[in-house]
Amino acid sequence: MASLLSHVLNGLSFGSLLFLVASGLTLTFGLMRALNLAHGAFFLLGGYVALDLLGRTDSYWLAMLGAVVVVGLLGVAFERFLVHRVLHRELAQVVLTIGAAFVIADQILAYWGGRPVMPPRPPGLGGSVTIGDLTFPWFRLSLIVIALVVFVSLWLLINRTRVGAMIRASVDDEEMARSVGIRVPVLFMAVFGAGSALAAFAGVWGGAFTGLEPGGEFSILLLALVVTVVGGLGSVTGAFVAGLGVGLVDEFGKSLFPSFALFTIYAPVALLLAIRPRGLLGRVER
Amino acid sequence: MAALRGRWPTVVGVLAGVGLLTALPALVPSFYVTLSTRIIVIAMFALAFNVVFGMGGMHSLGHAAFFGLGGYTVGLGVTRWDWSFTVIVLVALALGAFVGLAYGILTQRTNGIYLLLLTLALGQAIWGLAFQQVEITRGDNGISGVTRELVPLVGTGALSYYHFVLLVALASTGSLWWFSLSPVGRAIVGTRESPTRMAALGFRVGLYRNIAFVVSGLFSALAGVLYTWHHRFVSPDALLWEMSAFILIVAIVGGANTFLGPALGAAVIISLEFWVSLHTQRWMTVLGLVYVLTILFLPEGIVGLGGRLRRRHASVDVPVIPEPTASRSGRSHE
Repeated sequence: MASLLSHVLNGLSFGSLLFLVASGLTLTFGLMRALNLAHGAFFLLGGYVALDLLGRTDSYWLAMLGAVVVVGLLGVAFERFLVHRVLHRELAQVVLTIGAAFVIADQILAYWGGRPVMPPRPPGLGGSVTIGDLTFPWFRLSLIVIALVVFVSLWLLINRTRVGAMIRASVDDEEMARSVGIRVPVLFMAVFGAGSALAAFAGVWGGAFTGLEPGGEFSILLLALVVTVVGGLGSVTGAFVAGLGVGLVDEFGKSLFPSFALFTIYAPVALLLAIRPRGLLGRVER
Repeated sequence: MAALRGRWPTVVGVLAGVGLLTALPALVPSFYVTLSTRIIVIAMFALAFNVVFGMGGMHSLGHAAFFGLGGYTVGLGVTRWDWSFTVIVLVALALGAFVGLAYGILTQRTNGIYLLLLTLALGQAIWGLAFQQVEITRGDNGISGVTRELVPLVGTGALSYYHFVLLVALASTGSLWWFSLSPVGRAIVGTRESPTRMAALGFRVGLYRNIAFVVSGLFSALAGVLYTWHHRFVSPDALLWEMSAFILIVAIVGGANTFLGPALGAAVIISLEFWVSLHTQRWMTVLGLVYVLTILFLPEGIVGLGGRLRRRHASVDVPVIPEPTASRSGRSHE
């Protein structure tokens, strides 16, 4: 029983990490119909920048803040100078962002080397909690809490604030939104930057869970893509549900049929896309 | 011969090209023969890929599956199952066609970004099998020691294998050229241009999409067969999505709107890879920049560049072929 519960908690915490990465992807897709395949590279870069800053400043929170800000700004610049030029051209976006991901990961390899690294756990979350005969690290529990907080904040931001209303208006009808004075390009940039910052945050916090190495950016990206697709491109709620679901499938897949784990992730997703391309909670294409 | 009127420059060019390729081993050091073999194999893969991508206008990011399946058929057939040459080739072709049909059927209802993601997921599922079925495929280590004893070569060594590859590639290119001009090939181009009109004319759009995937899968698998025998080795990397992305950029760089453009792209990118690797270890950075710069400045590829310059200088209007890089999102079809 305890081992089942620990599997469930493990799956949920990994799923929470996936949601953190996927939320940025699904936000940018929902708003701009732009699929950013460099998102995994931003995740990786966040972790590495934080580690670098940690070595210089010796303050965990300062390092995290620095990484989130740096990668967020990079995301803004990336949107402004590159992604913006290929808006509404899906294939071009995909190829361009794959190229950017190659460049970022290869430069990480050049500067920081190819050895796997592990950002430290956040201070104060080192120990573990014991309930009955189950021992579970505080750090992993904290991931679940953070994912919940991020999910609720995003939901409130989109559904209950003025900015959210502007975002929804731009999603529904970009031209109409522009004509009533919403500066859609600025909104695009801000959302893209926020998505990148979220990826960097996940890289710092979640990197302590998965470890980081050049090349790892695509394994996390592909899982995040799976989450995004299953939840429905553009749906934050969908990404949250799917994130936890994929986390659980991944955890149990690995322990139940280890030699089919990758197949059990991708094949059902392919089937889902074939039958219901918009995912669980995605909007109908118009 | 009336069909050839006005085409003599093309015919002469093709004959000269074939002659040059055949004589190449006599002209350059043997190292370059190995490099050329690799270029020809990738060029053949790119031409096969372009049946779906350029002709069919379907953005596949899962073509590594066909290529890798062909490659693994050779690897396992030679080292594990002691198959004969004929059986290996037939099984590879059948696998390519069968999986191509599966791709076609599964992608019936998808376009644009969803088609891309779906083919990506399919390719990764197959990669996952090769990666994790360690008892059969030896997983990440790959299968080495794939000898060429079975290949019906004249002579031995890299030179004779070069000629074998060239022969297969030329035969495949000829078949694909004939296919692209056939009524079926024309209908596939029609489904790219306007699926709704083709449907209204009585064509079964889904059928032609399936045919495109089957033909493309078949020749991609054959390229994979040549690839494994070339390297005498096959690993899950041949199935990885990065291979799918690579063949995509090869086709775009060369020019996906034209028949031979993707082959040109293969020659350019593989030569660039060779040259860059002589000077620096940062090939992935250069490759990434190639992806980005191609999309920004060369969306119609090298062949398209020539067309663009000609259009700029010509006074008459040249019909502009819609670029395949511009997205055809699902919206316009549904």
